[in-house]
Amino acid sequence: MTQVLQQIALVSGKDLRIEARSRQTLGLVVVLGVLIVVVLGLGLGPQQVASGMAATAVLWVAYLFCGVLCFEKTMAVERHDGALAGLMLAPIDRGVIYAGKLLSNLVLMVMLALVVTPVAIVLFGFDLSAAPLGFAAIMAGGFVGFAAIGTLFAAAVSSTRLQGGLLAIVIFPVSLPLVIVSTQMMMRLFGEGEPLGGTGLAVLIAFDAVYLVVSWLVFELILEP
Amino acid sequence: MKTVDNKIMITYWLATTILFAASIVLVFAWTPVEQTMGVVQKIFYLHLPVAINTFLACLVSFIASVGYLWQRRQVWDDLAVSSAKMAVLLCGIVLLTGMIWGHSAWGVWWTWSPRLTFSLVLWLLYVAYLVIRPSIESRERRALVSAVYGVVAFLDVPLVYLSVKLMPDIHPSSIALSTEMKLTLLACMVPVTLLSVGLIALRFRLQRVESLNSETSSEPAPPTGVRGSFGGLA
Repeated sequence: MTQVLQQIALVSGKDLRIEARSRQTLGLVVVLGVLIVVVLGLGLGPQQVASGMAATAVLWVAYLFCGVLCFEKTMAVERHDGALAGLMLAPIDRGVIYAGKLLSNLVLMVMLALVVTPVAIVLFGFDLSAAPLGFAAIMAGGFVGFAAIGTLFAAAVSSTRLQGGLLAIVIFPVSLPLVIVSTQMMMRLFGEGEPLGGTGLAVLIAFDAVYLVVSWLVFELILEP
Repeated sequence: MKTVDNKIMITYWLATTILFAASIVLVFAWTPVEQTMGVVQKIFYLHLPVAINTFLACLVSFIASVGYLWQRRQVWDDLAVSSAKMAVLLCGIVLLTGMIWGHSAWGVWWTWSPRLTFSLVLWLLYVAYLVIRPSIESRERRALVSAVYGVVAFLDVPLVYLSVKLMPDIHPSSIALSTEMKLTLLACMVPVTLLSVGLIALRFRLQRVESLNSETSSEPAPPTGVRGSFGGLA
């Protein structure tokens, strides 16, 4: 068990080290995220913005687009110099590669969220103080499921010309339940002041569990140098 | 063999047409007009059977996708894409008939109620399936990515269903039906199902011809019907 965790940390550490040295993904997605928030803020106009509830929807739009970019980039680093073939030849389970990639994606997304979320909160006058932990829990549940599915499909399409916008077409429809659940829960949590509902959390956890298991199972089949 | 095939086809489509005509007669001549909604309620006899057939088409696509992941035979991919195409068509009909009905019953074309959102997401899921396919050049890669997506999309369906339940609802979960209405509904199920199965089969046959054709033209002719390799790095 500790060996598996060590291997996951190795794969993910490698990705994050590349990212720390090149800073090509995070710089890009943070700017894109802020831009999306600003564009939607301008588009919605002062009245909708003042309600505060638009912030969760805007945040999801930013996370979805930036997330797709993150997933694509973490797989793209393997495309040069036959890196993926090297990774596949390493004496580790393919599931470990998946878990490592997933972890790198999650770290990137959390770092993105740490910048973009405050921007949206400030620009949209969203009052987080009512339930900051609830907000974090919903977002965490959403991120795990989204990254689980994103990591899988980024790997599936990495050797094809299906990239960028088209990867979004694959990931967005599948992620819609996450968006529905989390926005509904946010509306109840912040709009009506209800405590965090068990049903919503259960759906989030079910989503995460289903996609983690399915991705773990089929990742081996779709990895191709 | 060819003539027997043709005979079966002709009989099948003739039966479907006759049953369709008969059920339309039943819908308009036999069943009573619903008291509150009026004649528009009759769209229900198409709406519900088509909705059920949408799920059947999705199920076939899922089974075929699992089949492809398991055996890596092109025939499974052909079946998966044929039924996914049918699922998009049927789900489109469900959305359109539902919108017409909703416009007359609720006064709006669209409302974000659970069932409507569910159908829309389902439609989008399978539209995406069809849209991504042409973007992948390699036939085996395309079949593989599609199969993974087919499995994931179908597993997404219950999750969409659970998630939309959190939304406020105005869609009826059950309707009180008179005996005539129930029987007519059952009668409508038969031709709609026959039509769906028939169209999937037709599309599947065409898809088979297409893929056998591209197999023989693009590759140094592996004999048809032989399994794709399990090995390699795929």
